Amino acid sequence: MNEQMKNPLDYTGKFSTELKFTATYKKYKNAPTAFREAMCLNAEYPDYFSPVKDGDLFAGRIEHGLVGFSPDEWGSTAFGYYCLFDKLSDEIDNLDDTDELKTDLIEMLEFWKTESTSSKLRAAYNDEMKAHLPSDDWMHDSGIAFPLYRLTGANIDFNKLLKIGIPGLRIELERNKIIAKQDNRDFEFYDAAQIALDVFSNVCDYYIQEINEQIGNVSDSNRKNELERIINSLRIIKESKPRTYHEAIQLMWIYSLISDTRNLGRMDIYLGDFLARDIDAGIIGEDEALLYLESLWKLIADRNTRVHGRIIIGGKGRPNIKNADKFALLAMEATRRVKEVEPQLSLRLYKGISNILYDKALDVIAEGATYPILYNDDVNIQSVSKSFNFDAVESENYVPYGCGEYILEHQSFGTPSGVINLLKALEITLHNGFDPVSKSKMGLPLGEFKDFKTFEALWDAYKSQVEFYVRMMADHEKLEYEIAGKEAPFLFMSMLYDNCIERGKGMFEGGVKYLGGTLETYGNTNTADSLYAIKKMVYDDQKVTAEKLLDALDSNFANDEKLRHDLKSLPKYGNDDDSADEMLMKVHNHVGNYTRDQAERVGLDSYLVVIINNSANTLMGNSTSASADGRLAFTHMNNGNAPSGGNDVNGPTAMLNSIAKPDTSIHAGSVQNMKFSKRMFTEHRDKLKALLNTYFEKGGAQAMLTVVDRGDLENAMKHPEQYRDLIVRVGGFSARFVELEPEVQRDILNRTLY
Amino acid sequence: MPSKTGIVFDIQRFSLHDGPGIRTTVFLKGCPLDCKWCHNPEAKSYIPQLSFDAEKCKNCFECVNACPNNVHQIVESNHVVMFDECKLAGECIAVCPTSALEIIGINNTADEIIEIVLKDLDYYKNSNGGVTISGGEPMAQFNLTKELLVRLKELKIHTAIETCGYSPTKKYAEILHLVDLFLFDFKETDEERHKLYTGVDNKLIRENLEFLLDNNAEVILRCPLIPGVNDNENHFKGIAELNKKHPNLKRIEIMAYHNAGFAKSKKIGLAPFDSEIPTADENQKQKWLNSFKALGVENVSIG
Repeated sequence: MNEQMKNPLDYTGKFSTELKFTATYKKYKNAPTAFREAMCLNAEYPDYFSPVKDGDLFAGRIEHGLVGFSPDEWGSTAFGYYCLFDKLSDEIDNLDDTDELKTDLIEMLEFWKTESTSSKLRAAYNDEMKAHLPSDDWMHDSGIAFPLYRLTGANIDFNKLLKIGIPGLRIELERNKIIAKQDNRDFEFYDAAQIALDVFSNVCDYYIQEINEQIGNVSDSNRKNELERIINSLRIIKESKPRTYHEAIQLMWIYSLISDTRNLGRMDIYLGDFLARDIDAGIIGEDEALLYLESLWKLIADRNTRVHGRIIIGGKGRPNIKNADKFALLAMEATRRVKEVEPQLSLRLYKGISNILYDKALDVIAEGATYPILYNDDVNIQSVSKSFNFDAVESENYVPYGCGEYILEHQSFGTPSGVINLLKALEITLHNGFDPVSKSKMGLPLGEFKDFKTFEALWDAYKSQVEFYVRMMADHEKLEYEIAGKEAPFLFMSMLYDNCIERGKGMFEGGVKYLGGTLETYGNTNTADSLYAIKKMVYDDQKVTAEKLLDALDSNFANDEKLRHDLKSLPKYGNDDDSADEMLMKVHNHVGNYTRDQAERVGLDSYLVVIINNSANTLMGNSTSASADGRLAFTHMNNGNAPSGGNDVNGPTAMLNSIAKPDTSIHAGSVQNMKFSKRMFTEHRDKLKALLNTYFEKGGAQAMLTVVDRGDLENAMKHPEQYRDLIVRVGGFSARFVELEPEVQRDILNRTLY
Repeated sequence: MPSKTGIVFDIQRFSLHDGPGIRTTVFLKGCPLDCKWCHNPEAKSYIPQLSFDAEKCKNCFECVNACPNNVHQIVESNHVVMFDECKLAGECIAVCPTSALEIIGINNTADEIIEIVLKDLDYYKNSNGGVTISGGEPMAQFNLTKELLVRLKELKIHTAIETCGYSPTKKYAEILHLVDLFLFDFKETDEERHKLYTGVDNKLIRENLEFLLDNNAEVILRCPLIPGVNDNENHFKGIAELNKKHPNLKRIEIMAYHNAGFAKSKKIGLAPFDSEIPTADENQKQKWLNSFKALGVENVSIG
């Protein structure tokens, strides 16, 4: 160590944890990565945990700093050793030049510019990736594809954690360390993991002390009892496995926060038995059990992970269905009462699932909760098995996380670290490698539109364009894992992912059983409808020339209202019209199969598209020109696997018939938003169920139901103050309607409401 | 044998209000009655006809040049449509940039209709739904209606027809065994008033209703109620008597007036019904229900 370094403990005051974290990292920069990570975790925790708030029935709130360690700190731009550069710069700008802190922060910012894991990933790009993936700002810049920097979507083994507790994990680490030593394998992982568990203990101690301080000021005896119960649970989980429902939730929750895994998996499996045992033993009543869940739900909501917070209930493969159902009903009731954007409660339906559960789900949705999201096991288990190449029994453990990507709980990983805008790929292809929005070269020049003499020639060019970017996204994904593996074992996640402890390796250095990846595709329906329109109008019927159509698109149909009308009048996906639906499937099969084939090339266990949503359809639409389906420039694109806004005019049966057509076994998740009026859930409940059941029988994989009347939404746009609690399904997530951008609001309004 | 044809003006999938379960309703064009309050005025005429939506028109006047029959004219800068001159050339529709113009009614074969109907077969099965033939008046396109019913029964699909009851009794006899449910309109008890408001008297209608009920057909009586026109004590009593006389009458559905027909009349160049009559509100509907209950009619609901 050649530079004079402050002792990390010398920092106090604002940003002291960030500075301490940075100093620790520097100190252990060249130490074994597992050890470095453990020391850095020790530097940031428990500092980033924050006090228990009034009403909390569990300890565990977190506010991450501007520098730290996380699998996915800021959605899409920061992971591993992260630094939130923009926010830090703003903070620096606010400081006085004479402030000593300013110098320290500038030095810290400069350090992470090359040392953060995202920066290292960017630096490792080859020339082609550097040239064709110039921007990371997918929300604002025009582009066909963008890389995301994150290792998101881990679903760790909470069931194991709750069964063996922290002491059980320590024993398992120790046992495997001995074996590793005998085999002459590295064993840093085990020592580092033990340190990480010490950090976990420190967090429990922090809360015990913090709550003890609070109790002194509490006069209400009920609240005192609640706080004492938290302290008791914290004391237990530090040193033994949890015995009660409360201890189990407390352990799960702190572990979820400290590992920064944001999806909570099959909670009815891992909490169902605790719940049933405590109720049977008379330790708690059902009312109290529900209050616990409501508190947990609020903690999840306040954590605000925006697109995560999944909790899965129902589904095949639950060892104790009776107990799990008991929990699932309680979970839905908690959702009905709390009505927050998170958790994203998701119910896996299958033929034979308790009707009580199904009806409860519809009751809760009818009250405007947008949850639970419905998944169809009878289709999905088979599809997951086929698309990921897992066996049928393994596949029963699929869970949707985030916006709807599937993985196997604690067995597989598949971060969505890339987005591709298919409609932009078509736009660039029609313009021979030129982007009319940024007015610059983009993608591959494959010929002028007018020179494609057949539709097949155009189709081939479009395919080449898409494939070029899919390959780069797959390369990016693989590279991301390589860099992550070199940087850190991600101890907390790895301890609860199958095979990592046995192998003594972090998830991304060869520990995880199945390492896959996902690519988010957007604009699928607009692309298919546009290709259909071009095929019909330019090639089959020759009603318009390629030049004329391109002019109209470039001018945003300024003088071509009639042409736009004719384009809009053509058959569209979502109406059970075979010709339009077949084009969607052609687009779907192409990008799905081509993406899947990348896994072998780059060396992943799977690489699959996801057709999800999270308002990217709106944001990316804002930099996409007019399209041949009649969509105007810079407006939203379709949502998930849904027909594009207002284009499904034949009613819900036709729409469902259409959306059940695309192959579900070539992707890792696809979402379907549907809006129904409340009357469908009340007056016509039987018909609604028949409608959904038929859709599921036909191969429908998923359904996100929002209950709302069009009038509600229009009024909410006019009088947002009266509709602050109106939650709508945006796509991959739910949001308060009044907090959405006007464009997103209009998009939701335009989606057909039945 | 070639498939029968007829003029269809709409096929509505996911129809929830014309019989049990999830249904597809096939609307046939043309009706022997001329009800003043008709809410489907576009279904009165037996032949396809031009429709013009002034709301959508942007006064580009492309249609004026395109029409070979001078249907579209500019009068004081306004687009005026001479509906009577229209020969259905379709030229105006081809040039209209906003779908303000359309032709209502197309010639469909039974095969074509069945093909659409079959797309939702699984939904019918799971909801105990089926297919409803409506109109206009389905009995007025009897050949097509009968063939559709025969085909639907072969496919084991639940069938319903919605009829005004004004068709020779022998035709009802011919399809009796093919129809699972009759949605039978009964519009006015008083013969004179019936004639005044619908253009025909109700003698044949009553006979057909008796015939169906005597032959144990499943019948729901559908009674359109128009505030201030036929929601009178005499008519309510007439309905109550029918109900008493025929215990096998399944149910009475009040079809509360709504003024959607007003705008539709304008689109096809018909003089609209009295626009002053408001759409019946919940209050009004409840009053009607109470009136029936007071007359001892229990099996009545808002349709």
